[in-house]
Amino acid sequence: MRDILVALSGSPNVGKSTLFNRITGGDVHVANWPGVTLQRAEGRVQHHGITLRIVDLPGTYSLSAQDVGERIAREFIVRERPDVLVIVLDATSLEKSLYFALMALELHHKAVIALNMMDAAEKRGIHVDVDGLASKLGVPVVPVSALKGVGVGALLDRILDVAQGKIRTSPLRVDYDGLEPFIHRIQRLIESKGALSRYPSRWAAIRLLEGDEPLMEELMHQDPDLAREVKALRERAGLELGEDPERIAISSRYSLIDDIVRSTVIQVRLAAPSLAERLDEVMLHPVMGPLVSVLLILLTFFLIFAVNTGFPLNLIFANLGYDELARMIEEFSISGILGSLFDWLSSLITKWLISAGYSGWPVGLISDGIIGSLGTLASFVFLLLIAYVFLGAMQDSGLFPRAAVSLDNLFRKFGLSGRAFFPAVLGMGCSVAAVVSTRAMDDDRERMVAAMASPLIPCQARLLVLLALASAAFADPLKQSALTVSIYLLSFALYLLISKLLNWLVFKVEYAPDLVMELPPYHRPSLRVVWWYARSNTEHFMRKAGMLIFVVGVATWFLLNFGPSGYLTGSKISESYAALLGSLLTPVTSLIGLPDWRYALAFEVGFFAKEGFLITFSSIAGVADPVQAIRIVGITPLKAVSMALAMNYYVPCLATVAALFSELRIGKYVLLTIALEIVLALMLAGAVYWTGVLLLGLS
Amino acid sequence: MDGELLPLTALRPGRRGRIVTISVGRGKARRLMELGLLPGEIVQVTSNSAGPVVLRTKGMTLALGRNVASRIWVEVVQ
Repeated sequence: MRDILVALSGSPNVGKSTLFNRITGGDVHVANWPGVTLQRAEGRVQHHGITLRIVDLPGTYSLSAQDVGERIAREFIVRERPDVLVIVLDATSLEKSLYFALMALELHHKAVIALNMMDAAEKRGIHVDVDGLASKLGVPVVPVSALKGVGVGALLDRILDVAQGKIRTSPLRVDYDGLEPFIHRIQRLIESKGALSRYPSRWAAIRLLEGDEPLMEELMHQDPDLAREVKALRERAGLELGEDPERIAISSRYSLIDDIVRSTVIQVRLAAPSLAERLDEVMLHPVMGPLVSVLLILLTFFLIFAVNTGFPLNLIFANLGYDELARMIEEFSISGILGSLFDWLSSLITKWLISAGYSGWPVGLISDGIIGSLGTLASFVFLLLIAYVFLGAMQDSGLFPRAAVSLDNLFRKFGLSGRAFFPAVLGMGCSVAAVVSTRAMDDDRERMVAAMASPLIPCQARLLVLLALASAAFADPLKQSALTVSIYLLSFALYLLISKLLNWLVFKVEYAPDLVMELPPYHRPSLRVVWWYARSNTEHFMRKAGMLIFVVGVATWFLLNFGPSGYLTGSKISESYAALLGSLLTPVTSLIGLPDWRYALAFEVGFFAKEGFLITFSSIAGVADPVQAIRIVGITPLKAVSMALAMNYYVPCLATVAALFSELRIGKYVLLTIALEIVLALMLAGAVYWTGVLLLGLS
Repeated sequence: MDGELLPLTALRPGRRGRIVTISVGRGKARRLMELGLLPGEIVQVTSNSAGPVVLRTKGMTLALGRNVASRIWVEVVQ
C-alpha cells in the first residue's frame, strides 16, 4: 500500500509541534519551505504496517494567505491534497483555535481533529463534548495530550480510517447569511467557466467575496473578464448589505463558533485568582515588568554562558581571589572540556600516525586540520544546544512573550515594537537564529530593520573570542569583566540606535509598528518540548553551516601550512599563503592599530565563522590554548580593546550573511548591512585606538 | 459608567467593554477580526498602563499596542 500523506495544521500555541514530535518520535527531517527560511519539518511513522508521511504546516491563525505562513499552509493543502489534514485544537480555549479549524475544513474536509490539552482542560473545569463537536464539524474528533502522549494511537487509527474511506467526512457549511445569494452566483460563474478549478468552488466564491488578493490575482490571470465580474459582484454585495463582505464572513464564522462552543463546552467556574494572574500583575506592571524581564534575560544568559564558557562565574571568582576555583570552572565548562578533549585526541592521533610510519603534511592535515575543525564544529553544536535548551524553556513557559510586551515602550522609541525583543535575545545565542526569527514579525519594515540590526548583538562564538582577548590582554579579572560587559551594553545600544537610523534613512518612517500578539498561558516548561526545540534548531543550523565551518577550518590549515615554496616546516608561517592573504588586508587593519598580517588574517578567517579568530591565533602560535596563543602573537591592552570592537562589528559571519540574503531577499539591503558594520567597526575601533595613542600615550 | 463610549486605552484593568468600532487599515482590521476582535464582542482589559493594552477575549490573552488599542472603541459593560 502507498504512503499516506498527513498534514498537521493549527493556530500558534495549540501544541502542534509537540504533537508532531510525539507522533513521529524523532524520525524527522528538517528543511526549508521552498524560497523561504521558514522551517519545514517532515517525519514518518508506521501504523498497522502502513507508512504515514507527516508534514508539519506553519502555525497560523487563519488561511487567508495574508502572510508567508498562511500562504505556505494554504498552498500545501491545495496543491498536495493531503490524504488527511489533522487540525490541532486547544481544548482549554476552543473558541480561539476553532477559527482556524473552520477555515481549514471549508477548504479540505478529509480531516481529523486532534483535541489537544484535554487533561489541562479537565483540570481547569472545562468539559468538552467530543461527540457533539465531531457531529458539528463533520469530521472525527480525538482527545489527546501531546505532552503526555495520551491518545496518539487513537488519533493514528482515525487518520487511517479517514484515509482509507472507512469514515466518511462531509464538507463544513458555514451559514454566511446575507452573503449566500452572492456566494451562489459566484460559485455558478466560476464553475461554468471552469476557473479556479483546483479549489472547492464554494470556498473560492467565499474567499473572492472576502477580497482574497492572491486568489483574485489567480482568477485575473485565468479569466480577466470573469475577475472583473466577480469584483463588481463583491462591490454590489457591500452596497446592498451595507457592510463589508469580509466582516460579514468573519462574523458568520464566529457566530458558528459561538454556537458550537455553547453546545459542546461546559465550564465549571473555579475560584481563587490563578498564579497566572498574579504573575501577569508583575510581568505587565509598567515599572516591574521591564525590570523583571531584563533580570530574566540576564539570568537565562548567566546560566547559558556559565555552562558553556564558565563566564561570568570564572571572572566573579577570580575577582574574589579564588583563582583556583575560577580556573576549574573554565576547565569544566563545555568549551573547556571540548577543548581539552580534542587536544588530547589530536596528540593521540599524531603519535599513532608517526608510529605507523607517516610523516610530513598528512600528519598535520589529519591531527590539526581535520581534528581541529571537527573540534570547532563540536563546540558549536554544544554551545547552540545548551543555549537553545534555556531559551526554549523561557519560550515554552510563556515568560518571553510577556517580556516582549513589557519592553514594547522602550523599543517604540527606536521605531520598533516589543517583537524586536526576540531577535535581540536569540542573537546572544547565534546571529543566524536571530535573523531567522524576524520571520515572525508581521510588519515588513520592522522585520527588515530587526534582521539588519540583529547581527550587532554578540553571538556565543564572538563571546569566546572576546573572553580570550580579554584574558590575554588584562591580568586583572575586573578589567576583563569590564571589557566584556561594556561590549554587550554597547551592542544593545547599537541594536536600537542602528534600527532607528535604518528606519529614518533607509525606510524613511519614524512611527513604530503596532504590537498585536497573543500571550500564551503560563506553564512549567516541558523537558521534552524544550529538548525537541533545542535539537531541531541545532540540527537546522548544522545543516546550514556545519559543512562550511568544517571546510573553512581545513582550508585555513592548508593556507597556514603551505606557501609558494610548498609545505612549510618549522616556524616559517610568515612565508605561507595565509601570510600573503593577510598582508592584503593590513592597510585596513593599520587604521585601527593592528598593522600585522596575523591580525589581518584573523579578520579574514573570522568572516567564515567568528571562532576563526581563535583558530588562526592557535595555528600561528602553534599552541592549542587560544589565550596563550594571543599572548604569543603579542597584544597590548589598547590593541585588545580595538580588536574586540572591530571583531564584534566588522561583518556578520558567512552563515549570517546567507540567512540575511534569504530573509531580506534584497541584495542591496544585505550589502548595506555589511557596509554599515564595516564602517561602524572601523569608526569605533579607530576612535578608541587613536584616542589611546594620541591622548593617553598608550600603545 | 454603563454604556459610555471609550477607546480601549481608556478602559481600566478589570473593566469590560463591548467593541463598537475598529478604525484601522484593511489588512490590520482583518487580522484583528480573525483573532476574534469583532464589533459586538465583549473584551476584558487585564492590564493597561504605559505599555500595550492586554485583554482577554475568546479565551485568549492578547497584547495590543497603544496605537491600535486607541482605535478600538468600546461601550463599557458591567
